[in-house]
This record gives sequence, structure tokens and C-alpha cells, in this order.
Amino acid sequence: MIIDPLSALSTTVIVLIIILILFWPDKGIVWQLQSNHKNSQRVIQEDALKQIYDHEYRNKSATLRSVAGALGFSMDKTSDILDKLMRLGLVSFSDAHYTLTAQGRSYALRVIRLHRLWERYYADETGFPEKDWHKQAEKLEHSTTPSQAAELAQSMGNPLFDPHGDPIPTIAGEIIKHDSLTLNSLKPGNAARITHIEDEPAVLYSQLVASGLYPGMHIYITEKGNDRVRFVAEGEEIVLAPVLANHINVQLIPEELAEDDVSESLINLNLGESAEVTSISKACRGIQRRRLMDLGIIPGTKISAELTTASGNPTAYNIRGAMIALRHDQAKMVKIRRTGSE
Amino acid sequence: MPVTEKENLLKTVRSLRWDIGDDLHDTLMTDIYTDANRISEKVISTSGKKQRFSWEGTLDRILTGRLTGIPVMLLLLSIVFWLTIQGANYPSSLLSTLLIDDIHPILKSILSTIGTPSWISGLFVDGVYLAAAWVVSVMLPPMAIFFPLFTLLEDFGYLPRIAFNMDNLFRRAGAHGKQALTMSMGYGCNAAGIVATRIIDSPRERLIAIITNNFSLCNGRWPTQILIASLFIGAAAPPALAGVLSAAAVVAVALLGIFFTFLVSWLLSRTLLKGQASTFSLELPPYRPPRILQTLYTSMIDRTIIVLWRAVVFAMPAGAVIWLLANITISNISLAEYIISFFDPFAILIGLNGVILLAYVIAIPANEIVIPTILMLTVLNLNISGVGSGAGVMFEFSDANAYTTLFSQANWSLLTAINLMLFSLLHNPCSTTIYTIYKETGSAKWTWFSTLMPIFLGFMITFLVTQIWNIFFI
Repeated sequence: MIIDPLSALSTTVIVLIIILILFWPDKGIVWQLQSNHKNSQRVIQEDALKQIYDHEYRNKSATLRSVAGALGFSMDKTSDILDKLMRLGLVSFSDAHYTLTAQGRSYALRVIRLHRLWERYYADETGFPEKDWHKQAEKLEHSTTPSQAAELAQSMGNPLFDPHGDPIPTIAGEIIKHDSLTLNSLKPGNAARITHIEDEPAVLYSQLVASGLYPGMHIYITEKGNDRVRFVAEGEEIVLAPVLANHINVQLIPEELAEDDVSESLINLNLGESAEVTSISKACRGIQRRRLMDLGIIPGTKISAELTTASGNPTAYNIRGAMIALRHDQAKMVKIRRTGSE
Repeated sequence: MPVTEKENLLKTVRSLRWDIGDDLHDTLMTDIYTDANRISEKVISTSGKKQRFSWEGTLDRILTGRLTGIPVMLLLLSIVFWLTIQGANYPSSLLSTLLIDDIHPILKSILSTIGTPSWISGLFVDGVYLAAAWVVSVMLPPMAIFFPLFTLLEDFGYLPRIAFNMDNLFRRAGAHGKQALTMSMGYGCNAAGIVATRIIDSPRERLIAIITNNFSLCNGRWPTQILIASLFIGAAAPPALAGVLSAAAVVAVALLGIFFTFLVSWLLSRTLLKGQASTFSLELPPYRPPRILQTLYTSMIDRTIIVLWRAVVFAMPAGAVIWLLANITISNISLAEYIISFFDPFAILIGLNGVILLAYVIAIPANEIVIPTILMLTVLNLNISGVGSGAGVMFEFSDANAYTTLFSQANWSLLTAINLMLFSLLHNPCSTTIYTIYKETGSAKWTWFSTLMPIFLGFMITFLVTQIWNIFFI
């Protein structure tokens, strides 16, 4: 019994293609149907609350048009959702724009807390690439119970910031205000964005402006003493007296945003050269960061490049007397200061 | 404490947390190291300047060098394989003579003289005992040579250098350089290779190494490859080229295995396993003189005996099943024959036959007994008298002509041979390995995946080969 080979082959190819279309990771029809099904009324409402909160946070007024745009829904559908939220007492409407009630704000913050916790979890504890963190958090923020959330937060040591540097609302629904930190409260190694420069008294303010500082500027603290704060801003070193520094409000940001122009990475160390570790980039998170620290890579550790492979990746380094091979993507996370060659 | 005071305190704590910041763990680590450093500087004194011995540096430059690293590795691994094959030949045939040719008939005659029913001696001696004896005589000698040699290289400090050399290649496939070592171990035994993945401490890369280890042709599959290649590929070539071509065919199958290792590693790391956490680390320890006796002891106990014991435990019930299938008959036709004719239509689609498929199903405990099972089932299915040792008793021929005669009676073609070689590479791991995968991953999901994925690949590849072959030759 011989089946015609051409028809056997083509049947199999067709069956395989159908299976692939149905089950292709993320884009398969089966998964699409599942995720559409999950978009229940509650999920849509929670997303709308989040969008209005986001408007308020950025001091923009939430109009029907802007909320519809943010959600990606038609104006009619959005209007239905917002009406429902108003009936529930979560949103109020005046002057052609929507605002959150106290109850609505606390609800929005709960959802945002879950979102940022999950982002932090995906960044620290899994191998998902950065672009997937937000996507996964968008799904999970709607289905996590309060006790699961508490467990999640606790397992990560109650983190304060999400991987993008945004503060995670506390369980009580409190969120840190952007301008609650002053430049004086930072420590060497911190990276920050200037959020606010106090404009009174005018004498001090003009001094600060003369130094070239402006809100939105990224800075990196290199020294903090009782009589001065030294930091790098846009490649230039600036020294301020504490009384001046007190007039600058900042927000902590992930170090990698500010540090690139500050120190060199281990990847540049040639064979036979030695250096001292200054920091591990904040972009290196979770178990990857713990692994590097477990190997003894902490600020002050002496490190020298000993041996490399034909491709240069990985390279073996002498760390505290042990030969440790690191890959490029790890070595570039380690920031160093050269101490010359032996 | 009054409620308000407690509330205030908690409020202070919450606000302080923002000042302390998010890097408390980092600060703690740094402080611990700083303290440890201070203490060690106080209490440890070193005389003279400690330096890395220059011969170690030189050796490292040779073993990991641009031009020398890979050739030295290939040379050393070839020596290990050569020693294993050469060294295992003699003890293997000795054990097989002793356990199969001598003890097996003695057991049979003892049982018949004390008047045991023939089904008992058949089930326990021809089935259970023979399967276990077969597994021991084929598996034990190569493993007892291969694993100690490997452990010696490990002890000396060479194996991490191989991982270091190969890491670039494996990184591109989303895997860990140490997978080069677990793959090499897999050529001895997949179960041992999978136990060896413990050296990979990154969860994602370790799973990849476990799932793809089956693509390393193990000790139990090399003999099948060599036998079939020399019987069919060699015979199809001009006599002068027969040896070279059949050797090339075996190497090609092994290389195909390496190809699938990299392909599947690459696919897994980008799809199913992309969410698993991954952290690379590889220490290159100082070179040390190997501790030979200790190495012999640990590699015998940890690797050889444990793996062999598992294999024997799994082989015994399979031996019983093989014997029963061949001996239980319904209206004078054995169960095995029913199953063979049930498998046949599907088996023809992938260029094999029902006998081979049934053999792979019932010889799941060990690849070593696949060929003996195929022979026994073929004789049973064709109803040939005077060949082999009876229904349910596995056997092997001692000369090549006997194989050729039997296989041509069973209508084997060059296509059957090619597909058998491919299917021997691409089918489910043996039950010892499956059990080991379950023990190591602790996950039924990954165990199922590692079991079914190679069969699926095997069916696809043999199906493609067969149908394309049919287009050209029929």
C-alpha cells in the first residue's frame, strides 16, 4: 500500500500550517480568542480609571476625546464606560472633563500598584525581555487578588520603584510625590532627575540658574559631604553648597540613564589591565545582579582581565583570586575605574 | 501603645523607606564584604608576593588559545572516545558470553530439571533475566571507562576550559558553554548527561541542556547506527568505498544530532523558555593534579552504578512485556503480530515497518535491546523456523550475512535503513533518561515535552525523507 507521496506531503504541510496559525506563540488564533474573552467589563473599567489617573498625574485634563484615544476605543464606547464609572461614584464630570473621586483614585492606585509590582517582578525574577514586562503586567494587574499582591510584594522585599523608576503606590494607596526629595537627601552613586527648582528667594534662584540647572536634567551624585554636594550633569561637574541644594527637588531614576558618561565599563578592560569596580549598573537586576555580587563584584573590588577566547566573549577576569568568566552582556553592566596595569 | 502613636510610628517608617531607597540589598552586601575584608586583613598574613604560577598561565594560553584551543579539545575528546571503544570491546564480549551464552542456558536447564512450568522460565529467564543481562553487558564496560576518564579531565580542571572555549557558539544558540560538556557526557549515556547538567546553574540554560541531551547519540545507539550503516549503506556503495561511506553515514547522523541540538536550543530559548531566568557564570578553577582513586570511586558510584541500576530496574519489566507479547496468542496469533499489523500502515508512511515501531515501543527501557528485539520480532512475524532462539527470546547474529538474509526476507530496503538510522537518533529518550529528566526538572510538563518533541521530529523527518524518496524512486 503506497500513498501518493505528493498528496501525502501536501496534506501534512497544510495540517502543520493550520496548527501553526492556531497555536503560534502570542499571535495564534487560539490565544487571541482567549485574550479577547478575558477583556471583561471590569478590565475595561480599570483601564479607564488608570488612564484618567495618568491624565491627572501629568496635569492634563481628561476629556472624552483624550480618554477614548488613550484606551483605543470609539467615543461612544468610551462614553458608556465613563457613564458607568460615574454611576459607581468613581469618576465625576465637570467643565467638559473627567476627574477621579477619592474612591476612584484609590481604586486606580490599587491597579497601578499591581501593574508596577508585576513589572518589577518580570524585570527582576524572569528572563523576559524588557518589551514584554509591560505587556505581561497589563494582563496580570486585573487578575491578581490582594493576598497574592501582598505575597508578591513581600517576596521581592517590598520594592519602592518599578523598573522604569516610577514609584510603586503603597498598600495604603499612598504614592510618593515627585518633589518630596531634595538634592541634599541623595547619596553618592544615586542618579536623579531634577523635577523642581524653588524660585524663592530670587538671589538663590538666580545662582542656581547660572549653574545651568533646569528641571528634567539628569544628574549623578559623586560626592556628598556636610559642606557640599558634588554631582555630574550633562558631562559637567557641579558643586553646590547644601543651602542651595536644598532648593532643588529631584526624583530618583534608574542609574543607567545618567551614568553612561560617568564611568567606563568592564568590557573596555584589555588583557593584563586592572581596575577597581565602582558600581553595577541598575539595568542589571534581580538574580543577575545577585549573581555578580555573589561572585564578589561590589564597589571597591579589584578586578583584572586575564584570559579571553578567540571571539573575546566570554573573557575571564581575576576577581578576589578566582578566575571568573563573564559574558559581554554581563561585563558591560560592571562599571570600573582604571588602576593601571600590573 | 495607643493606636494613634502606633499609626504615627508606622507613618514615619513608611516615609523613611523612601529615604533609604531601593538598594538596601546592595548596601548590605557591600557592608558584609567590607567587614569580611577588614577581618581577613587583620588575621591573615601572607609571606612574599602570591602569584599565579607561570606554567598555569602558559597552559591556559594553550588550552584556550585562538589556534590551539579547539584542536586540543577535539584531540582529547577523540582519545577519550577511542579508549572507551577499544577498552570496552573485550570486557563487553566477555560479559555477554558469560551472562547470555553461559548463564542463560544454565538457568533454563536448572529450572526445567526442577520441573518449573515453561511459562515461568520463559517469563523470568528469557524475558526478565535476558533483558537485564543484555543491558548490563552492553552498558557497563563503556560507562565504566568513559565516565572515570571524563571525571579525571574534570578534576584536572580542563572541562571548564572547554566550556570557556565553546561558550561563544552556545551563547548564539541561547545556551550555556557548559552544555558542550553535558552533550559529550550524553555520547556516553543521556541519563548521565542529564544528571551532569547540574553544573549549569542558570535555570533556562539548564532546561535547554536537559531537553536537547537526547540529540547526543548515546552508547546504546552507536552500535545500531554502525550495524545498519555497514549492512545497508556500505552494501549500496562500490566495495572500495563501502567502509568509508558507512562510517561517513554514522558521522553524518551524529552531526545531524548536533545540528538539532543547536536548532532546538535556539528555538526554545526564544520561545517557550524565554521567560525562564538566566544568569551566566563560569569559574575557571586552578589546575590540580587529579585524585585518581577518589575519582574512580566517585565516578563509579555516582554515575556508572546509579545509572546502570536504574537501567536494569527499567529493563526487567520490559523484558517481561517483550516475552509476554510474543507468547500470548489469540487464535494462534501472538499479541505482537496483532500490534505489528496495526502499526504497519502508519509505519509505511515514514518508511519503517510495524516491527521496528513495536520494537521501539517495548524496548523503551534501553536502546541497547532495540536490535535484539527487532530480530526476535522479525523472526516471529515471518514465522521463520530455525532462526533465533524462540518466541520472546532476544538474540543477535554473529555474522553479517545472517542479518542481511533476515532483513531481505523482511523486505527491508536502503530507505528502511536510512529511516531506522534517523529514527534511532530522533525518538523518545529511554525510560531511564525520562525518569532522570523528571527527577532533575521536577516537572511533568518538561518531562513530557522532552519525551514527545524528539518523536515528533523523528516522525516528521522520516516522513519527509520517505515521501521525497518515493517521488524520485517510485
